[in-house]
Amino acid sequence: MAQFLCLQRSLPRPAGGDDDASPDMSPSQMQEIYAAFGAWQERFADHLVDLGGKLGDGTVVGRADGPLIEVKELVGGYMIVEADSLEGAVAVAEACPGLVRPGSGVEVIEIRRP
Amino acid sequence: MTSPIDRHTYGHLVAALVRRWGTHRLEDVEDAVQAALVAAVDRWGESPPDDRNAWLYTVAHRHIMAEARTTKRRRRLLDQHAPERPEPPPPPRLSSELGDDLLRMLFVGCDPRLSPAAQLTLTLKILCGRSVDEIATLLFVRPDAVRKRLQRARATLRHAGVSIDDVGATEERLPAVQQVIYLLFTEGHLSHAHPTAIRSELCDEGLRLGGLLARHPVGDAPTTAALMALMCLHRSRLSSRTAPDGGILLLTEQDRRRWDPSLVSEGLRWLERSAQGEVFTRFHAEARIAAAHALAPTLADTPWRDIADTYALLERLAPSPLHTLNRALAVAEVDGPAAGLQLLAGSTPPTWLQGSYLWAAVRADLHRRAGHMDEAERLTDLALALAPTGPIAEALARRLAPG
Repeated sequence: MAQFLCLQRSLPRPAGGDDDASPDMSPSQMQEIYAAFGAWQERFADHLVDLGGKLGDGTVVGRADGPLIEVKELVGGYMIVEADSLEGAVAVAEACPGLVRPGSGVEVIEIRRP
Repeated sequence: MTSPIDRHTYGHLVAALVRRWGTHRLEDVEDAVQAALVAAVDRWGESPPDDRNAWLYTVAHRHIMAEARTTKRRRRLLDQHAPERPEPPPPPRLSSELGDDLLRMLFVGCDPRLSPAAQLTLTLKILCGRSVDEIATLLFVRPDAVRKRLQRARATLRHAGVSIDDVGATEERLPAVQQVIYLLFTEGHLSHAHPTAIRSELCDEGLRLGGLLARHPVGDAPTTAALMALMCLHRSRLSSRTAPDGGILLLTEQDRRRWDPSLVSEGLRWLERSAQGEVFTRFHAEARIAAAHALAPTLADTPWRDIADTYALLERLAPSPLHTLNRALAVAEVDGPAAGLQLLAGSTPPTWLQGSYLWAAVRADLHRRAGHMDEAERLTDLALALAPTGPIAEALARRLAPG
């Protein structure tokens, strides 16, 4: 199976800011989060090749019209996923509930080895 | 410390003063903060100042200055190039600044040159304001040992020339900081030897420092979120684990209506935040297990399969025979007691676990449920004999009673 690098984009804080004054959730909301977490855990338990880690310092070069952005501002971390196809890797990445939010995402790149 | 000042003040003051005077003066700073708190008790009386922190900071600062001058007079050689510090600096006002210092101090205390035990002891002393005797009681060590541990820790920081302004690679220290917070919390959560009041205080210290860490860019990571999730979810059940008479209530005996819904909600929010694909840690696994219990409306609704699977993952992440023991209990709920026993048959516990009531109690429970009454009785007697405290023995007797 091919390996794919999933670069995680840093997420903005959840809407509503700090959790102090947040209202209690309904049981169904809580079950939803629990289930999403479970699906995420389930999926990655078998697929994880490298449990990932923080990226070190570095920079990425933006496109010609873009600014140079420190990699840590852009990318929260990485993980390596094994899948048959790019679509399969994307499906795994999409199963990560923390990413399914407006304005955030994950970049999936196939790792080609000579 | 029975004063009009809460414990948190102690840590804030130590952190702010260490920033001013340096880590090499840590012990002087601690003495000065103690002196300032004593002075406050003496002088505030009916009318404490408006800005208590500023008052305390100034008094403690002067105390260190006075000490420094005395020392300097004794060492005349140094006088020439040691100008007096003329005025106390403006005391810090913003609570966020104080929080920042506190967090820095936490990272200073989690210096990789110190053992985890030393890191925990130092944190309890300088950030939680615990006395040597209190720490000794909490950690089951003699006061002498605590004193020595603290002296060695301070000396290590002094010799290393650690500065609060330059904590170094915070990212590398983050796991140690999380570990200290975790230990602080579990100490409160698990140690049945202490009264509930002390235990919930310790848990709350863990939550407070964890919250500070999680809300700061330095600690805002999925692992910290997972740590917060597991702490909130466990804390939500803490009061229901104790009977009115101080006895221990097992999961089967707890009144789920007493679980704190706000803490469960907060725990779930952190759990959601922790699922960010970067790393799966033991904190994630433990948070999932805590969530599984917290969300089950009744004991019968407990998702034991999830729990068993997650324990299996936890065993891989952080191998420990205790996790195997817990998994065996969960497996027994799903596949029957024989399956649980079979799991344990394959593992040889280390001596410390063999000598613990837990190992005997779990097997007694499983054998009884499997109908092996002789073996169950033998192990029950063993578990009761090994139980460290009365309340634990009573809870075991109820759970393991025949019939």
